[in-house]
Amino acid sequence: MYLIPVIALLIGVAIGTLWAGPLTGVYGQYMAMACLAGLDTICGGVRSGLEGKFHQDIFITGFFSNIIIAFGLAWLGDKIFADLFLVGALVLGWRIFNNLSLIRRYLLTRAKDAMERRRLKGLAAQAESAQTVGGLGQADTTA
Amino acid sequence: MSRLAIKPLINRSPEHIWVWPVSAMCLVLGVMLRLAWVTDQSRTSRFALLAPQIQARVGSGSLDLQEEAKNLEAEVQHVRAENTKMEASLSTQTGSTKVLNEQLQEAKVFAGLTEVEGPGLLVTLRDSAKAPQAFVQEQIIHDGDVLRVVNELWNAGAEAIAVNGHRVVTDTSVRCVGSTILVNNTPVASPVEIRALGDASTMQGALNLPAGVLAEIRSIDPSMVQLSPVKAMRLPAFSGNTGHHLLKVPAPSK
Repeated sequence: MYLIPVIALLIGVAIGTLWAGPLTGVYGQYMAMACLAGLDTICGGVRSGLEGKFHQDIFITGFFSNIIIAFGLAWLGDKIFADLFLVGALVLGWRIFNNLSLIRRYLLTRAKDAMERRRLKGLAAQAESAQTVGGLGQADTTA
Repeated sequence: MSRLAIKPLINRSPEHIWVWPVSAMCLVLGVMLRLAWVTDQSRTSRFALLAPQIQARVGSGSLDLQEEAKNLEAEVQHVRAENTKMEASLSTQTGSTKVLNEQLQEAKVFAGLTEVEGPGLLVTLRDSAKAPQAFVQEQIIHDGDVLRVVNELWNAGAEAIAVNGHRVVTDTSVRCVGSTILVNNTPVASPVEIRALGDASTMQGALNLPAGVLAEIRSIDPSMVQLSPVKAMRLPAFSGNTGHHLLKVPAPSK
């Protein structure tokens, strides 16, 4: 289930290879920035999905608008000689780290919960069987 | 019971609604990543846009590329030599082709497409070995220094020039990217050895003119410049691209 996005990513790379080569020059730089924005949005989407707060419309509009904004900001920065490129990379990198760490925490908590539940279930089963065995024993002695 | 037995591949429970949109966007991201990926085709044009310290970090990976470029240059030289040989063998056939071939070879020599040998002058420019001083920029050989020396050498009657083994021809460029000098778009490091085929004493005199092209460098550190006449030297053929995209030779007007 969780592998589907990864497979989709690889298919995307394959399509990119068939359909168009890498961008050269400064547009490659802008596209690198847009990639960071896309990665950030996807991490955010996975996070909100795991938290149960996922909204498809917000996610998809966010994905495209973030890409366009990142591309546009990098371009604007070059036009006015302000290093918005660096700022964008910094902010997006920070957000990606943040989202990934939240995803990790969420998955960890869930795995721990599952283990705990299994352990309690096991204990309960043990207690139940002990009780029935005990009950039988009692029945034997009384008989 | 049957619902449990046939477990669907895709879980459509509200807990998993995010998987499909995320996968779709992952597809788009994959295409974008491919577009942004640095490959051999896009490396050169994107490398030049990076800050120097990033260039130093990612540049180490392009050493293989330089190796490859060297191999290709050798290949080009080999093929051109072969071509020259074939033209020469053609010329043995008839008188008119012989004349044509002579003219062709002359044009190739002028264009720098053949190896040449003869006496000449070796000019070595190197970064100063002295401890860095206030204007450390002046202790380094720049693209401009190389250009000025090459220009002066042509003026002093040099018949062929090569900079660190790169033949200087009509479309040769000398410029810098970050801290590296590029000759014919190939990186060149200090010491820069400029070999000029021609009359050594004339060229030496031209370079040593008071307030000439070398005066400024020598005023910083005389050991940055070294001139040595050479009895016999061999300059390689130009190994770059000779193709053109836009120019056309007009039909002769009557």
